Amino acid sequence: MSKVILLVEDDEDNRDLVSFVMQRSRLDVDLVIAENGQEAVDKALASPPHLILMDMQMPVMDGWHAVPILKADDRTKHIPIIAFTAQAKPEDKARSREMGCVEHYTKPMDPEELLALIQKYLNQ
Amino acid sequence: MVATAKTYATQVSQPVQSTGAQKVQETPAVKQQNKESAKQSLLAADRFVKEGNFEQAKIEVEKAQKLDSSNPYIQAFLDRIAYFETLQKKNAPPPVAASEPPKAVAPAAPAKPPVTAPPTPHPQPAPPRPVVQPPPGPAVPTPPAAATPPKPAAPQQKFTPPPPPPHPGAAPAAPDTSVNSRLEEMRAQIELLTKALHQEKLAREEIKDRQLQSAVSQFRAALEKAWVNGAPREEDSQQLHQLALSLALPEEVEVSVQREVKIDMYSRAVKEVVAKRKLLKSSSSTLEWLRKVYQISVAEYLENESKFLLDLVADQYKGTLLLISEDATGRDPLSSKLKMSGYATIIAATPEVALEKIEKINPNVILCEAKFKQSVLSGVKFLHVLRANSKLNATPFILFCDPSEIQDLQSSELRPNEGYVKKPVDFDELSAVMNEKLVRFREYISKLI
Repeated sequence: MSKVILLVEDDEDNRDLVSFVMQRSRLDVDLVIAENGQEAVDKALASPPHLILMDMQMPVMDGWHAVPILKADDRTKHIPIIAFTAQAKPEDKARSREMGCVEHYTKPMDPEELLALIQKYLNQ
Repeated sequence: MVATAKTYATQVSQPVQSTGAQKVQETPAVKQQNKESAKQSLLAADRFVKEGNFEQAKIEVEKAQKLDSSNPYIQAFLDRIAYFETLQKKNAPPPVAASEPPKAVAPAAPAKPPVTAPPTPHPQPAPPRPVVQPPPGPAVPTPPAAATPPKPAAPQQKFTPPPPPPHPGAAPAAPDTSVNSRLEEMRAQIELLTKALHQEKLAREEIKDRQLQSAVSQFRAALEKAWVNGAPREEDSQQLHQLALSLALPEEVEVSVQREVKIDMYSRAVKEVVAKRKLLKSSSSTLEWLRKVYQISVAEYLENESKFLLDLVADQYKGTLLLISEDATGRDPLSSKLKMSGYATIIAATPEVALEKIEKINPNVILCEAKFKQSVLSGVKFLHVLRANSKLNATPFILFCDPSEIQDLQSSELRPNEGYVKKPVDFDELSAVMNEKLVRFREYISKLI
């Protein structure tokens, strides 16, 4: 059975690039897209994915607000969330960890690195 | 062939008759002259046969017959003409198919070649022999070769082309006349057989080519689908191989098409990812990853590197460029060329409009007309405005000038990041100046940091 990854990303180019990489990953995954934190919360609660790739800066609701909601809900609190962001300061990394993100992956991305990370948490 | 044999047999059994009415008193000199004329007619007939003009050839043979009925080649010529006429009729395309290519008449399926049935010339009734008084002296017999028709060529039999027939007017007393005649007949048959085989071969090749092309395009479509996101899984590869087998694709074709598709798909993926390289940590590591995804070996990569690199260069983003010109006819084609070269090109009709946009777009290069009709600012004045701006005073700035303005411009002490190109703008010249200024700009920035 395919595993489901929820990609939360407002930038279309980034979404396309992640899709491009996932399509070529040989991983048996379905990619579900959310364009902001609110949409991500709605989708995750409705149908919990196996992994969430969360941009932290987005309109409507950013990742800093969406992650605590997901971590507070029994249906989604177990889902590993990878913070996927351009914010690379140590305090940002620490903050995302405190919120419950399993990783803080800094953009720009490297396909192999990102895939290794995704594989690691999908296999857990 | 049986019919041919009968024909010859009939001919041989026919006695040569003579009638008194046709008796002509001929002196040896006249006879000799007639023989010579007959030879010439036969030579002419030979030419006409080669040209395919059988009617004229017949006339010449008849002429020769009248002049020298004892010439042993006359009957052979008549048979030869009849033979080729039949052949021509056989090979002529039917009127309804006249517009189709000649290959269309070939058999539809690559069946066994029709080598077992070489076309047989239809026996034509031998023309009435002119009855003349037998010449005095040694009589020249009718070529006995006619009585022993050659056997049809066996399919697998390899023929050694017989030596060319003797000169039609050669001495009739030659001892191997019958052999020559037979050889002539065999040669004609071989020609016919060779032609039929050649046509069959062409037809088979065409059918093969068409079948192969269709199979290749079908296989390619399946491969493209399978390879679009990288090397297919093992089971998909097996299915593709089975498809190639079912399409009867030769192994080397299968391998070659697969390799082409693989490289093509990798090239497309490279283009796609390079368009988003600003979002990537490293273009080179991404390309390396893609190389693994598409199973492109180092050798394959190196072999096709120029193709991949050309694709990259064509799509490369070189920077943002501000083009200030009110002349749309010259400006727009230039803008297109600049975009094609990899620059994100922003257009402003006047320096005033450019000033509104410039802070937002932060250009890497500014190209500006020297004169404007609809602007208070000239290109040079605009340059002075930019010089006063610390954020923009090092940005490469190139003016488009008329030749008459260049003298004034040179004396106005252009800075290293500033330059000019004379109008009408030559794109290569502009590219060279832009590159030079960009190199300086890069050096300048490197020193700042």
